Amino acid sequence: MEAAVNTVRHEHGEGHTHSESFIRRYIFSTDHKMIAKQFMITAIIFLFIGGAFALFIRWQLAYPGEPIPVIGTMLPSTWVNADGAVTAEWYTQLLTMHGTIMIFAVIIPLLVGTFGNFAIPLMIGADDMAFPVLNMVSFWLFPLASIIMMAGFFVEGGMAAAGWTGYAPLSVIASLGQTLWIVALFLIGFSSILGAVNYITTVLNMRAPGMKMFDLPMTVWSVFITAIIIIIGTPVLAAALSMLFMDNFLQTSFFMPENLTVTGRDMSRTAGGGQPLLWQHLFWFYSHPAVYIMILPGMGVVSDVLATFSRKPLYGYMAMVFAIIAIAFLGILVWGHHMFQSGMNPLLGTTFMVSTMVIAVPSAIKTFNWLGTMWRGQMEFTTPMLNAVAFVSMFVIGGLSGIFMASTPVDVFIHDTYFIVGHIHYVLFGGSLFAVFAGLYYWFPKMSGRMYNERLGKWHFWMTFITFNGTFFPMHILGVGGMMRRIYDPTVYDFLKPFQPMNEFITINAMILGFVQFILVFNFAYSWFYGKKAKRNPWRANSLEWQAPSPPPHGNFDKEVRVYRGPYEFSSPESVQDYLPQNVSPEELAAQWTRHEQRRAQQKSEP
Amino acid sequence: MLDWLPENVSTFGEGVDHLFHVIYYISVAIFILVNVIYVAFIIRYRRKRKGDKAYHYHGYNLLEVSWTALPLALFLFLALYSDRVWQDIRYSEKTPNPDLVVEVMGQQYLWHFRYPGSDGVFGRKHIRFISTTNPFGIDPDDPAGRDDLLTVNSMHIPVNKTVLVRLSSMDVIHSFFLPNMRVKQDAVPGQWIDVWFNSVKTGEYEIACAELCGSGHYLMRAVLDVHSQNEFDQWIDEQHENVRASIAAAGAAPDNATLAAQPDDRQSPTE
Ligand code: HEM
Ligand SMILES: [Cu+2]
Ligand SMILES: [Cu+2]
Repeated sequence: MEAAVNTVRHEHGEGHTHSESFIRRYIFSTDHKMIAKQFMITAIIFLFIGGAFALFIRWQLAYPGEPIPVIGTMLPSTWVNADGAVTAEWYTQLLTMHGTIMIFAVIIPLLVGTFGNFAIPLMIGADDMAFPVLNMVSFWLFPLASIIMMAGFFVEGGMAAAGWTGYAPLSVIASLGQTLWIVALFLIGFSSILGAVNYITTVLNMRAPGMKMFDLPMTVWSVFITAIIIIIGTPVLAAALSMLFMDNFLQTSFFMPENLTVTGRDMSRTAGGGQPLLWQHLFWFYSHPAVYIMILPGMGVVSDVLATFSRKPLYGYMAMVFAIIAIAFLGILVWGHHMFQSGMNPLLGTTFMVSTMVIAVPSAIKTFNWLGTMWRGQMEFTTPMLNAVAFVSMFVIGGLSGIFMASTPVDVFIHDTYFIVGHIHYVLFGGSLFAVFAGLYYWFPKMSGRMYNERLGKWHFWMTFITFNGTFFPMHILGVGGMMRRIYDPTVYDFLKPFQPMNEFITINAMILGFVQFILVFNFAYSWFYGKKAKRNPWRANSLEWQAPSPPPHGNFDKEVRVYRGPYEFSSPESVQDYLPQNVSPEELAAQWTRHEQRRAQQKSEP
Repeated sequence: MLDWLPENVSTFGEGVDHLFHVIYYISVAIFILVNVIYVAFIIRYRRKRKGDKAYHYHGYNLLEVSWTALPLALFLFLALYSDRVWQDIRYSEKTPNPDLVVEVMGQQYLWHFRYPGSDGVFGRKHIRFISTTNPFGIDPDDPAGRDDLLTVNSMHIPVNKTVLVRLSSMDVIHSFFLPNMRVKQDAVPGQWIDVWFNSVKTGEYEIACAELCGSGHYLMRAVLDVHSQNEFDQWIDEQHENVRASIAAAGAAPDNATLAAQPDDRQSPTE
């Protein structure tokens, strides 16, 4: 491994091989850390694209039919009308692409792609992933897929417009953009599977000597379990997408009944005999587990951050691990809770209600254990800690709103209303994205070798936290009021007119929320080059990544690592300081004590 | 927060709202409990002095077991408690005998309604006959179908009567949403789905589409008129009269033509 590092340096020195090595290092890199950064940068770009889409949506909801300020008239005529207001067609594309991008191109690549790649090898003391080339392919499929999806912008009929859930037959009688959407998701699924195979193999086979499975930090456990969910669920999505593709392209009828009659469209070549609900079953069989793909790694990161900054062992480590396993298992049995009003047999409604209620239990267990972790701690409120603390509180709201929807009779009313939109965002923004922020700030020193700016970090956190709640909490109220999701203009309905002030309030918050994210980008971009140099272990944490140099070179560790204990031995009476890294050997620990005693004795003897 | 709920005027809506309230109060209680502890910890256990060690403690199994068992019991209770209402409103064996059956067909972007004609029965229908001019797929060879009453975006029902809605769609999935009745049911092409309700109050209510069905999704609004029985009888007699008149106007024209022509002038007569 030393050799590899040297070659890179050497080539740099020689000059003429520079461009080739640049490509190997920064573009088609097989180094897990570089791949993690590639995932991160690509996903953050998409965070801003998806966010911009959301703001167009919000503008239209608060001020239906009014021109978009400043840029309205500059946009193409297929998106906006002559005044510069969002058209209903573009609105539907926006909401579809917002959901798809945020889920598949932002949250999953950040949590699974970025943290999985960056943290797993470092946290288990390995020099890289088990299959570095596969890892590179897994990354490159993702921008490729994203480009295919965004190409919908430029084709006739625009982007996909059937919602991120792509319900058939709406997604069958659609434009070319929908087909691009299908192909793109298929490729992203492929990328996920490649990544997952890699994570599982790496965790099982490449742990440092002495490291047992139950010595793994929660981040590694959660990504490991997530990878298993990906392997189980994604092939089903792939099958469903293949069928949808054939329905779109080859006139098959997996999802279409006989004699579908669509105004202005010739359906005579469709034989029929299919079932629209089949799509929903297959889609949710993947996509409910997928919501756990989007939260479990976040829970792992938050567990690590909370323990580190509470200076306390993670409360109930075993319970936390088994809660994750329980979530993964139960997660496969609850997909029907998205289909209570779909027309499936009401008896199944009862079944899925029970399984959904049960799956809330492991989430409750995790919450209580996080509280337990903080109990009698010595909490330090750095930016990662603030984000992790916010995660727990926001996740509680998201979990509780889940209970409303799990209750079938209540769901009759709130299904497909803004209540669901509120729920989604409390778990995916309040949950997953705050966890992403926590993780990004937490590992920034390790990734870049420099410290981010703490003051800017805190500004970013507080502004985000306040405007996040201002944006998404009122959505529950809109949902209680009955406002349907995915409607272009709520003022068409008399019963929704009183909610217009609330819609304006939400939009104003959303705009601030969107713009304060530039603080994060600025902070990271600036600190990456000009930040204070980071020490190896700035947070005084125990897991192995902090024992490598900051940033770790190709091959990661500059000394051999051997593991003697779990990752959460904070404030142990056995240790001199309030932390005890996993790789400190008993002999070294004894030596630390001796040095400590000597220093003490010295201090005493001095007057 | 629940004051924002639209007025409930259906019989079983009270049960739904009751559940909504129960879960709401439980959730608020849990939320307050967790967050009070949380904030207390945040204040109490922040680092005050450098170098102090925290309490080295890994957990307590009895506590783990109890905070697994208690939520499990609570959530299972909620599931069983909810299920009684769910069975009442959705299980077919619990559906009361309907006083009126109305067929509803979703189409991008409007709602079709169909009532039996003056003969009191629906004509036979088959999915094969569905077309933009025959949204319900009424069999042209069945004389009973000829006088069926069709309206668009306008539904009329009598108060205090069980109404069974038989729901389908001819193109994409829509969702039949009656906020004031606490009714929401997807309309799925190729499938007829029953859903019932009983309004206890007369008046005009809105019907919405709750499932994304294309860019005109938001326009799919219909009006539900809940009449007293007398008013309703009067309305339906009038409609039957109109239908008879239009059949007569079509005169000696052969059956099929009549049928094809009739849904064409499908403006709802009341509007
Ligand atoms: C306590 C645990 C949870 C429960 C009981 C729960 C329950 C539900 C239910 C019943 C629905 C369907 C509502 C409807 O469409 O009528 C739903 C929707 C959803 N949930 Fe959860 N949920 C929980 C946690 C989560 C988590 C952790 C995530 C993601 C990180 C999540 C993401 C979503 C999303 C994205 C949807 C909406 C899908 C759509 O229709 O677009 N949920 N949840
Ligand atoms: Cu789900
Ligand atoms: Cu519709």
